[in-house]
Amino acid sequence: MTHSWTEVQSLAIRAARGADVPAAQASNFGNMLTRHLADGRDEAPLSEALKTQGAIVDLALRVEKVIEAASISSAPVSLSEDAPYLCALLVSWFNSLPCRTQVQLSGNTMTVTLSLSEPNARARPARITLSAEFYAQMHDLAANTYVPDSEASRMGGAGAEQMGLD
Amino acid sequence: MKDLMPEISPLRPPSEVMRLARMGTMMPTRLSFLRVLVRRLCTENATVTRTVWDMNAAGYGRAVYSIDLGGHTYSLVAISNDLPSDQRSDRVIATAWDAAFVLYDGVPTALEIDRIAANAPKQEAGRFNPRDLVLSRANKSLRMWTATVDALRSGGQPEPAMIRDIGYLMRTTAVYGNGKFGIADRYLIADRPGLDGPFAAEMLTVYMIRHFTLDLVQHVGGARLDPNLARHLGVGNATGLGMAPFLVNHPVLLNNWMLARETAFARVCAIDSLSPDSQAQIAKLGARAAWHLAEWHVPAPDHDAILRALETEWADFRPKLDALGGPHPIEAVWQAAKDSSMPLQELLFALLLEPFPDLLDGLAECMGDPFGPLAVPFSGISALRAAIETDWDWALTQDFTQNENCRRFWYVSAAKLEPRLGDRFLEPGAELETPLDIARRVVALYADLPDGDGPVSTFLAQHPDHVLAVQRVAILARYPYADIRDNLIAATCRPIDMLRCKLSFFGATKFDPKSDLWTRITLAQGAPLGDELTLENDDWWLPVMAQ
Repeated sequence: MTHSWTEVQSLAIRAARGADVPAAQASNFGNMLTRHLADGRDEAPLSEALKTQGAIVDLALRVEKVIEAASISSAPVSLSEDAPYLCALLVSWFNSLPCRTQVQLSGNTMTVTLSLSEPNARARPARITLSAEFYAQMHDLAANTYVPDSEASRMGGAGAEQMGLD
Repeated sequence: MKDLMPEISPLRPPSEVMRLARMGTMMPTRLSFLRVLVRRLCTENATVTRTVWDMNAAGYGRAVYSIDLGGHTYSLVAISNDLPSDQRSDRVIATAWDAAFVLYDGVPTALEIDRIAANAPKQEAGRFNPRDLVLSRANKSLRMWTATVDALRSGGQPEPAMIRDIGYLMRTTAVYGNGKFGIADRYLIADRPGLDGPFAAEMLTVYMIRHFTLDLVQHVGGARLDPNLARHLGVGNATGLGMAPFLVNHPVLLNNWMLARETAFARVCAIDSLSPDSQAQIAKLGARAAWHLAEWHVPAPDHDAILRALETEWADFRPKLDALGGPHPIEAVWQAAKDSSMPLQELLFALLLEPFPDLLDGLAECMGDPFGPLAVPFSGISALRAAIETDWDWALTQDFTQNENCRRFWYVSAAKLEPRLGDRFLEPGAELETPLDIARRVVALYADLPDGDGPVSTFLAQHPDHVLAVQRVAILARYPYADIRDNLIAATCRPIDMLRCKLSFFGATKFDPKSDLWTRITLAQGAPLGDELTLENDDWWLPVMAQ
């Protein structure tokens, strides 16, 4: 099934939150996941990351270190990753940053050049395709972030004390 | 070389502007998104045309309207339903409405209209595609609707006093854009002339819904509305908690909106002198504001008391608008208001922007956020600490161990994903809190920072929960109006102030708060009708009933 970019991004952020990923890293994961799929890459590494405790937080930290290095020097930064699924996600993570990025991959080593003051101009597609299985995985994780409905809860929503509808 | 940049006075600092008490008094300006859109439509002499009208005598059926804007044609597909009274609700958890709408990219075929008619009434439960740009729904104001139909059927016109007091035939309860439920992502249309500003597609939808409601009531009533009355019928809107987190979750956008507004005011304050025409225009706007206030009454006694106090205060202040012949007259009149209430200051602020299109209107092009935050990382812990002490000093004074300072938590309910606000100490679910507690997070980050210096990433490796706070501190260091400088989880926090801020950017008038959690407003009241879109008719800041 195809979805809008915003739908996929929002669901991915919620799914990561539902997998106990802290808010900022979940948000960045959502950006990365959408970029990854928009670039026609495989869903499997994304699914794996959501299942693996600590994987997303670790990826976010590695990216953060590269950004930090890029803020000190414009020289390319090299890093390596032995696990192919994490390597694929790192590439997508860099490509999803708001700034202009160049990533060159050779085996399990990548060379990253970030231009922190220049915006990312990568095109985005009209639609993103998700398999039913992966959608269901994210949907189930996202459900972990919703507070069950109750009478007391309903009173905490706008309009609960609704006056006349005129 | 001649310097073409306008003169500019110092901007009001974020510490003054980004406070909820002030944001909760903001008024629409000529930079408000609906104003920008209508101005564009007027510039293009656009015309709304009805291409499909398949309605029964009771006003149930479908209609399509088209309009050309910036070289593209857009169509509003409207589906009107017979809604049982017991299903009429403005809440997000409602499942049926009087009318449903889609703004369509192009002119829909009969097949596409059928598809939309099958899905739009389901709203969140429907499925949409990238030709669908905006999804919305609306409920009738039964009082206004019934009175108008009855009056038209009996050969008369509705009472102007009722139009003045209610102001719309239908009110929307959601206007969804940017990819929701499968509709087009905003970036797909963000480069199109006329839809390039924030919420432009949503505002176009609202404007066309207004046109539809006027057509529908005349169809059911069997007679024409007096255009002077029709012009004063806008579109209502009921807005709740869903709108509030937007301001927190889009810090660069918030910065750009506020910065454009403050830059506009700084340019106006720098004006050396005013022509007699400009002086007369400001005096006229002052009189209009007084009239508008006199017509603006709300049922809630506490909110009406604020309006009545403002009406009195404005009457006392207005003579100052008749004496603008001296040097730096705008700055002078602004200084004269420095001890006035915030509602008066924000009314004056909006008024003083109105007469200066050449100085300000170009700023509307700077109110989007096409890239996301381009924040620069901190060089180390010391720089991060210094940024917190500079930009978050107000937060560091908050004691979050006190229950009242963290009593509220924002969350999303499993019931139709409705945003809600809970009491952390009385209700379950705080562990699923939506992260709008930015100030508390920054204070916690500050408390955990080690002495001395070192890479921030090394610190974050040990404290991954602080990444959000570090990001927000970095964003605020680059985008000074990006964060609200108040505690959004305090027992005293009033979400209605956030709604007022955002809705004023939309161009809303006649704010009618129903509690601290939601409000009704009016959009497009006084705007030129669908066959009146010329620049000479684009004069509807703070609309008043024609006399």
